[in-house]
Amino acid sequence: MLVEVRDLKLSIGPVPILQGVRLGMDAGDIYGLLGPNGAGKSTTLSVLTGLRRAGSGAVNVLGLDPATQAQALRRRIGVLSEDSGFYGWMKARDYLRFMSSLYGLDLPAQQIEAQLERVGLPGASAHPVGAFSRGMKQRLGLARALLHKPELLILDEPTNGLDPRGRREIHDLLIDLSQHHGVGILLCTHLLDDVDRLCNRIGIIADGRSVVEGSLADLLATRTGAGRYRLRLRGDPPLPAALPEGVTLIASEGEWMHVALPANADPGQVWAALLAAGWDLVEIHNESGGLEDFYLDLTHKELTS
Amino acid sequence: MNSIRLIAAKETGELLGSGRGLGWLITLAVVLSAFSLLLVGSTELSLLDNAQAVYMVMGTITALGGLLAVVVGSDAIAGERERGTLVPLLLTPVSSTGIVLGKMGAQLAAWVAAYVVALPYLWAVGSSGQNLGAAVLYLALFGTPLVIGFGFYALGLSARLGNVRNAMLVALITLILAASPLVLGPSLRQSGIGKMFDAVNPFSAALNAFDSVVIDSDPFGMQIGRLGVVLAWLAVTALFARASARRLEGT
Amino acid sequence: MKHWILALAFACIGSMGLAHAQTAPRLSIALSPAPGNPPSPEMGNWMHFRSVVRNTGAAPAQSVVAWIGLVRVDAGHEQPMDLEDWSAHKAVVIPSLQPGQSFTTEWPMRLIQNGDYRVVISAAERHAQRLDSSPFVDLHVRVKPTVESRRILPVAIGVPLLLGLIAGLRLRRRA
Repeated sequence: MLVEVRDLKLSIGPVPILQGVRLGMDAGDIYGLLGPNGAGKSTTLSVLTGLRRAGSGAVNVLGLDPATQAQALRRRIGVLSEDSGFYGWMKARDYLRFMSSLYGLDLPAQQIEAQLERVGLPGASAHPVGAFSRGMKQRLGLARALLHKPELLILDEPTNGLDPRGRREIHDLLIDLSQHHGVGILLCTHLLDDVDRLCNRIGIIADGRSVVEGSLADLLATRTGAGRYRLRLRGDPPLPAALPEGVTLIASEGEWMHVALPANADPGQVWAALLAAGWDLVEIHNESGGLEDFYLDLTHKELTS
Repeated sequence: MNSIRLIAAKETGELLGSGRGLGWLITLAVVLSAFSLLLVGSTELSLLDNAQAVYMVMGTITALGGLLAVVVGSDAIAGERERGTLVPLLLTPVSSTGIVLGKMGAQLAAWVAAYVVALPYLWAVGSSGQNLGAAVLYLALFGTPLVIGFGFYALGLSARLGNVRNAMLVALITLILAASPLVLGPSLRQSGIGKMFDAVNPFSAALNAFDSVVIDSDPFGMQIGRLGVVLAWLAVTALFARASARRLEGT
Repeated sequence: MKHWILALAFACIGSMGLAHAQTAPRLSIALSPAPGNPPSPEMGNWMHFRSVVRNTGAAPAQSVVAWIGLVRVDAGHEQPMDLEDWSAHKAVVIPSLQPGQSFTTEWPMRLIQNGDYRVVISAAERHAQRLDSSPFVDLHVRVKPTVESRRILPVAIGVPLLLGLIAGLRLRRRA
């Protein structure tokens, strides 16, 4: 496993902060870490990055113990923390060059420019970071996290401050990293739409404890017994008869189709079958009781128990 | 070592290239200018031996160097934390010791800059040439570990207290206490407690060495004990800074 | 008879006092400027004074303290001077001075301020009832012009200006 956390506990003084967190992800996974404010998400990330020591429990990141092998670990992970600051007096390219040099890299100017372009900051290399907007700083932070080609990305609210187009661009970048470069991505966010679109695994923490943890599809499926999805198509859909076995068309609203999948169906295979059958899919949204309802339900139970 | 150099270069650029750093150097120059003009304009002060005038300028430079080290050191860790730039730095493969040494590299550069600014003033007041060369040498020999020690001390406080204002307050109080021999009269310094304080105070050791070499023309052999006090100060504060910075991770 | 006895008693008491006075130590102090002193001293010059304390009495003098005093006598500025910056050698103790014995002391002094002064050495036995002092040595200290402005002024003005110029150029380049 890329990251494995079992029964993580941590107290700060007499105050218990983490009281049993578990987490597991493999290379290529995009893992969404969710939870109410103060649940312990950031503290969990601090332990994974070696900034805090676990009180007890097993923590393994890329085969390394963050408590004792932090420096070796940091060469292989990229982190974007929520309140990441920058040296405002530096130009963007100088900042990235400085940060990359701390990893022992001597990146040529073109590579720095390419990195900036990759995160949606073309032509910004000569501007002082202090003049960047919040969204631009988020992108710069992501560029910084990617400089040394990490195997694991740990991102805390990566789309903060981004407009919808910016969020989509970052999503595409993360999906590309995950699917085509095998980078594991641990995403800490409050934006359930982001989780819905990006994550294949999630963990929900409430009051310092893991409430649920595992495959997003499985978790949602267990909740409703069936997966309901909203599909947007380009053009007219083929006839319902063209639907794969077990897939039910619930409703159709213009370019939107509501379908239900059996509990044991692999959504990826269903979409592949639909595409093969001529369905021109543009968007797919999971509406299986809704991730939001799922999240709110679970965290409410945990907080009121 | 490369990462230490990189951090030192970045910090030095930020410190000396910014308005803040240049402002400090200008302030230092203005203070030294005011003191020098006082020597010219005040009949009593103008009667000081050149050696005594050089001694006073050396003490002033050392005190101002210590003040700059305290201000810069107090901001080194806590300031980065407050600005949000500490965590990204800690999350690089650079160790906390490397970060400390990098930041202290910038402190050293700042002291060197202050020292260079002070040299013309030493030359100007040391017109008789008595022990002027020794003054230049001993200011470097004693002033450097003393000032850098205060830098380490303030940086350690910055890491431990996590707050620039508190770190600066504690460091300034320590500096004022240490520099009190500059203003205490001989009778207080000769008391039992005064002598004990003088024996362990690195600032006193530096001032006494300046006095001994520049005014009394004493040889280096008589300064070894004092040099030991100053170097011990440097070592203790360096260890303090390193231990404090280590607490930043794995807490 | 009674009168004779009273007269004799008074004579005895008087002669006892006279005898005590004659046997108590007496100090005579001479003060003179040292030969090598500058003839026309100015501020900053060092001067030396020499005092000779002699016991001219019939009894030894014990623990005699002698000290130097300086008083300024310029019209409108009359005051005793604090010798803090003028001299580090302000007093001397003579443990014992036999009748006829003398003790010589050198008194170095740096002339800190211009003006007219009177130098005096005072001395007293530790438990004496009166003070002995030397005659005054008068002293005129000339003003000394301000020093080394040729070196200090260019540096004191030039260095801040130069740094200010550098700062200005840097800020302009950044803007």
